[in-house]
Amino acid sequence: MGNFMGLIHNEHMKIYRRLRTWIMLGLVVALPIVLGIVVAVNTPSSKPISAWDIASELNIIYFLVSIFSVIIAADMVSSEFTWGTVKLLLIRPWSRAKILLSKFIVVLLFAISMSVVFVVTNLATSFSLFPNLPIEVVFGGTESGQLLLQVFYKFVDLLVITIFSFMLSTVFRTSGLAIGLSMFLLVAGNILSAIFSPVKYDWAKYLLFNNMDLSKYEYMKSAVTNITTTTGMSLGFSVTILLVYVVAFLVISWVVFMKRDVAA
Amino acid sequence: MSQEPIVRLSNVTKRIGSKTIIDRLTLDIPSGQVFGFLGPNGSGKTTTIRMMVGLMSISEGDIFIQGISVRNDFEKAIAYVGAIVENPEMYKFLTGYQNLLHFARMSPGVPKERIQEVIKLVGLENRIHDKVKTYSLGMRQRLGVAQAILHRPRLLILDEPTNGLDPQGIRELRDYLRVLTQEEGTTVFVSSHLLSEMELMCDTVAVIQSGKLINVQDLKASQVGDQASETMFEVDNPAQALDLLGSGRAEGDHFIVLLNREQIAEVNSRLVAAGLKVYGIQVVTRSLEDQFLEMTGGGTIG
Repeated sequence: MGNFMGLIHNEHMKIYRRLRTWIMLGLVVALPIVLGIVVAVNTPSSKPISAWDIASELNIIYFLVSIFSVIIAADMVSSEFTWGTVKLLLIRPWSRAKILLSKFIVVLLFAISMSVVFVVTNLATSFSLFPNLPIEVVFGGTESGQLLLQVFYKFVDLLVITIFSFMLSTVFRTSGLAIGLSMFLLVAGNILSAIFSPVKYDWAKYLLFNNMDLSKYEYMKSAVTNITTTTGMSLGFSVTILLVYVVAFLVISWVVFMKRDVAA
Repeated sequence: MSQEPIVRLSNVTKRIGSKTIIDRLTLDIPSGQVFGFLGPNGSGKTTTIRMMVGLMSISEGDIFIQGISVRNDFEKAIAYVGAIVENPEMYKFLTGYQNLLHFARMSPGVPKERIQEVIKLVGLENRIHDKVKTYSLGMRQRLGVAQAILHRPRLLILDEPTNGLDPQGIRELRDYLRVLTQEEGTTVFVSSHLLSEMELMCDTVAVIQSGKLINVQDLKASQVGDQASETMFEVDNPAQALDLLGSGRAEGDHFIVLLNREQIAEVNSRLVAAGLKVYGIQVVTRSLEDQFLEMTGGGTIG
């Protein structure tokens, strides 16, 4: 029955034929460059900064990639409902499960492409403006390994939040709610972690936001207040909890999407 | 023409909560016709269509398209169907052509040449590469028809297709449907609450009210044949005419009697021979509207 690549192609067309996608992409490329130049101009030549340090600092801008992925995911299903095009989309020789799968895959591809574009821009900017000086390696390993690990931890958070947004988009069919709640989780996660700390409450270690930001297990390895000793949480534990959440989000998305009567 | 029906609805029931929207609807749609689905607003037309195309689940019963169950084998059954459910909503930020490309990719075996062919059929050649947001409602409707017939469906389902169209648009739509049924052998299933529209468009009409099938009527059959029909004579003295013929009834300055074609001429000459003045002769056909109102009893929305 047809070609699944056709569905992927369609979803890509619906993302990349919109101006806003290119604005997002433009910002992800432009911001590291602009910030890199500003820092380079204000750095005295007597005290050079390592390109690795700059790249690490510029990683903050990766937050933008998270926001854009959340927005795309939030729109993926809900927009078909608000446009009314879902009525034409679902009456093709494709099961709803496969149509949702094509949308999900395209969301993942978008998040990955944006991340790659960001990392490449970040490294290119840092190394063309700053000297390649060795830096103190916190995580162990090489400079490049540390930088990639840093991005990877952020990418894991991005995926969790994006899938959360995708679920809300499917369940509530409004992108506003999906974007709002996802961004709230992303921004307020640290504050919530402080309030519902797993140090204070034992059950809190099962909460989603307490298991995000896996880098804490690297940074706090040597610290006196080691998370593992105070709460019993470990990298493996958090990864498992995150997986459970992600699977739950996906199951909810699929069940709701397949069962729903389309009346809009 | 009358092989196995292209669509069979068998005891189809839809319940939402405790409310029964569609109540054990059983209906066969014969192949090669324009089949009308008529009912007042809220009678369950759109719900039935949504169940046929898999947008809504079926509570009980099943729908078979070309003998394939929509419930059990949706992907296969729906491959025979092209549809517009209510207004054709398109991706407004894409061009008409990109929209067609989008839907062509979702059906197996739709080459680029077919897309061109369909564009020509609906007469959108000049504007197909413009964004859909610049289209008028009539043009969107044309694009809607185009996406529905891209994969040469055996069955075309149109839900209230004339909503919001101007008389010219309605006329054009009617012409497409004729072309499709006659040249491509497509069966068209069209729902509407506009009676006069259905009368012009359809071969057969099924009437539904409050989720129940009331009647299926062959419109073409009632027009042909040499049956007796009520004929109205406008004469100067209806009472005298009544005496002369001994049957029928007088109504105001009209005289109405049940006659077939030959008898009409005969009666006319007898009336004239008897010195009556005949001003006009007219066969009284009850319009679909009269029949519809009669059947639905003036229709309270249930």
